[in-house]
Parts: sequence; structure tokens; C-alpha cells
Amino acid sequence: MITGNLNAIGYGLSAIGPGIGVGIVFAAFINGVARQPEARGQLQGIAFIGFALSEALAILGLVLAFAL
Amino acid sequence: MTTTATAPAPGFEAPGVEDFQLPPVFGPVTKPVLELVLAAVIIAAFFLVAVRKPALVPGKTQFLGEAFHGLVRNTIARDMIGGRDFVKYVPFLTALFAFILVNNLFGIIPFIQFPTFSHPSVPYALAALVYVVFTYAGIRKHGFGGYVRLSTWPPDVPWWVRIILTPIEFLSNLVLRPVTLSLRLFGNMFAGHLLLLLFVLGGEYMLLEAGDWQLKVLSPFAFLMAIVFTFFEAFVQVIQAYIFVMLTASYIGTVLADDH
Amino acid sequence: MTIAAEELNPLVPHLAEIIVGLVAFGLLFWVLAKTVFPQFEKLYAERTDQIEGGLKRAESAQAEADALKKRYEDQLAGARAEAARIRDDARAEGQQIKAELRTEAEEEAARIRARAEEQVVAQRESAERSLRGEIGGLSAELAERILGSELADPRRRSATVDSFLSELDAMAPAQTTGAS
Repeated sequence: MITGNLNAIGYGLSAIGPGIGVGIVFAAFINGVARQPEARGQLQGIAFIGFALSEALAILGLVLAFAL
Repeated sequence: MTTTATAPAPGFEAPGVEDFQLPPVFGPVTKPVLELVLAAVIIAAFFLVAVRKPALVPGKTQFLGEAFHGLVRNTIARDMIGGRDFVKYVPFLTALFAFILVNNLFGIIPFIQFPTFSHPSVPYALAALVYVVFTYAGIRKHGFGGYVRLSTWPPDVPWWVRIILTPIEFLSNLVLRPVTLSLRLFGNMFAGHLLLLLFVLGGEYMLLEAGDWQLKVLSPFAFLMAIVFTFFEAFVQVIQAYIFVMLTASYIGTVLADDH
Repeated sequence: MTIAAEELNPLVPHLAEIIVGLVAFGLLFWVLAKTVFPQFEKLYAERTDQIEGGLKRAESAQAEADALKKRYEDQLAGARAEAARIRDDARAEGQQIKAELRTEAEEEAARIRARAEEQVVAQRESAERSLRGEIGGLSAELAERILGSELADPRRRSATVDSFLSELDAMAPAQTTGAS
């Protein structure tokens, strides 16, 4: 017997894609820094923008989970 | 929309949204409100003590304050904003970082134990403030048209890509930035606090209220997990404060950049 | 969606928190930006300045030391050259002095020799002169002795005397000039 909200399951599903995306973004960032440590400053900015962009989808999922 | 099974589970009721609705301490003043004021007072006091006797060879407090300021200044602001402009934004970023960090850490400090930003109000307000700051910076640098163009019109892109890309850029740069900024902070704090509540309340229920002796025996593991996740939460809280400021600096950096 | 559910929606902001949060953050930012961070920036700049200034000072000190060293080395080389020059001069001077002394000594020796020769000549002359003065007496004595044995024969004596006298006569002019 389980009580709960289907929206939570929906949010869980919506978090999969962004999770993978964030992983890819930071994997690429780490690779880049490992290859060219001096480019760290520039890469960091790009990495965090990419991270924010992918994370945005998961956050939208969170919002919709509560808002719908 | 809630799809509920017929009856609530007998006995244990998992913590939920209603646990975040704290009763007011007095009048309209609730716990988060007190925490906000406390955080501001703590930070101001710390930094004022740190610069009470400024010296080239710093004392302990001064060193801590300077290290904090230096972290925001040299790792976040200088790398993300760059150029000579970044110094202007360092006070804002440092204050923001300190304010968010202390409010987050209230989530694991004993007897306070409620992360202020698990209520979304202040994250909304701070994200709006950040939005105003970087929009103002962008418009002042490029003019209104230049700023919108910079935000929505990526250069050197074929027209058929632009059809897709421009709405995405418009959404992500001008609409979603403050939304995600605030909700990321709120969501992490909310989920983290919920997690801790789950383990603590669950352990308490298992120890005190559950009839089975097996559950009583297993309850220490719940408390152990609560402790482990408290450390994890400390990490997440610091990281989230860092990311908030990092993204703020990065947004300011992109709107100040000369090209896209 | 029921009203109760809406009250519990965690995404709904609380106005009191927004106001207090903004005011608290605004005051915090104002206090820190007015008092604390300029101080930090100043300290930062000072420290950077001092470190860079220290480096610069060290550099200039190094340069100064280098210059000083170069000057000393130059001076040393100069002194060495000077010493060599002085030594050469001294040697030359010594040579000159030696040469002078030698010529002087040679001259002296020559003079001494000349004087010795002169003396010898003079002595010989005086010896000659005294001999020449004595020679008359001696010859007379010798003659007496010879004559003493031969006076018995008056003829021979007179012949001898005659020949002697004539000889003397022949010598007389030279004798008188040498004696005078």
C-alpha cells in the first residue's frame, strides 16, 4: 500500500536526462583541463554554463512536479 | 494532482511538504525570517572583526576573511568575468556567497537545523536581484538592442539552425536563468532537508513507536545514515552556494563579453 | 487542486521572507561593500605592491651589487696593471741605474788607471832623474876605483879620462835639460 504522487515519478524520470547531461558536461571539462591545464579558466566558465543549461531541465521537472 | 492509494500507511507517516510549514515564532515572524537576520548579523560581525585591525601580516580572523574574499575574487570573479571589470562585482559576489553559505549551513547546525532556502522565497528574491544586476550590466555595456542581440542572436550560424537556436537562446538566457538559479538552490536545500528528516523521523519512529523489536534494533542504522547524510548535506550546501555565485559571475561575464 | 494543497505547495514564496531576506542581504552588502571589502582590496593591493616592490628592490640591489663588483674588478685590474707598470718602470729604472753606475765605475776605473799610469810615468821620470843625478857620483866613484888601480900608469889614466870627458860632453846638453 503506497501513498504518493505520480508527479514525483515524473520528476524522477525527468531527472535522468539532465543527470547524464551534467555528467557529460563535467567529463568533457575534466578531459579538457587534463589536456590543457592552462585553459582551465575559460573551460570553467563554459562548463558551468553548460551545466546550468542541462540542469535547467531537471529543475523544470521539479517545478512541474509541484505545480501541476 | 494527487493519486493516492486509499488509506495512509498505518503507523509511520513519511515527512513531506507540510513539515516545511513551520509555525510562527511570534506574530508573523517565522524561523526562516529569524535565520535570515541572524545570518546577516553573523556575516557582518565576522567581517567587521576581520578588518578591525587590518595588517599586512594578517591575524587568524583577518586571514579567514581575506581567504574567503580572495576565493571569490580570484577563483570565481576573475576567471568568470575577467578583464578589469571584475573587481567592481567582487563585493556583490562575496556578500552573496557568504549570505547563501551561512543560510545553507543553518540546515545542519544543531538547534537551528533548518536551511533557510528550503523555502523558495529568498532564492527567488536573490535570483531576481542577480537578474537585475547582470541585465543592467549588459545593457549598460552593449545598449538594450545590443544586449538582446547578444543574448539571442548567436553569430556565424546558418539560418535553419537559427530558427531553433534563437528561441532556445532567448529562453535560456533571458527567461530561464533566474528561474533555474533560484530553483536549483531551493530544490537542493529542500530535498536535502527532506532526506535528513526522513532518516531522523524514520529512525525515531522505528525506535519509539514501532511495535516490532526488529525495527527497534535496526533504528540505529537510520540514525547512522542521518549522520552520514548530514555530512553529505554539508558538502552539498557549500557546493550549492558556490554554484550559485559561480553562475552569477558567469552570467555577468557572458553579458560583458565582447562577442557571444 | 484544493486550497489546502495550494497552501502546502513548497514553490509558493512567503512575502515576509522575501522582504526580510532582501533587506538583510541589502544591509549586509551595504555594510560589507562600504567598510570591509575596500579594506581587503587595499590590503591585497598593498601586499601585491610590497611583494612586487620587494622583488624590484632585490633586483635593484642585485644590479647595484653587480655594478659594485664590476667596479671593484675594474679597480683590481687597474691596480694590477698599475703594479705591473710600476714593476716594469722599476726594472727599467734599475737597469738604467745599473748602466749609469757601470759607466760611472768604468769611468772611475779608467780615471784611476790613467792616474796610476801618470804616477808610474812620473815615478819613472823622477827615478830616472834621481838616477841620472846619482849617476855622475857613482860613475866618478867607479872611475876612482878603476882609476885607483890604473893611476900607476899615468898614460892610460889620462887616456881614459879624456875619453870619458868627451863622452860626457857629448851627453851634456841632454843631461842638463833632463835635470832642470
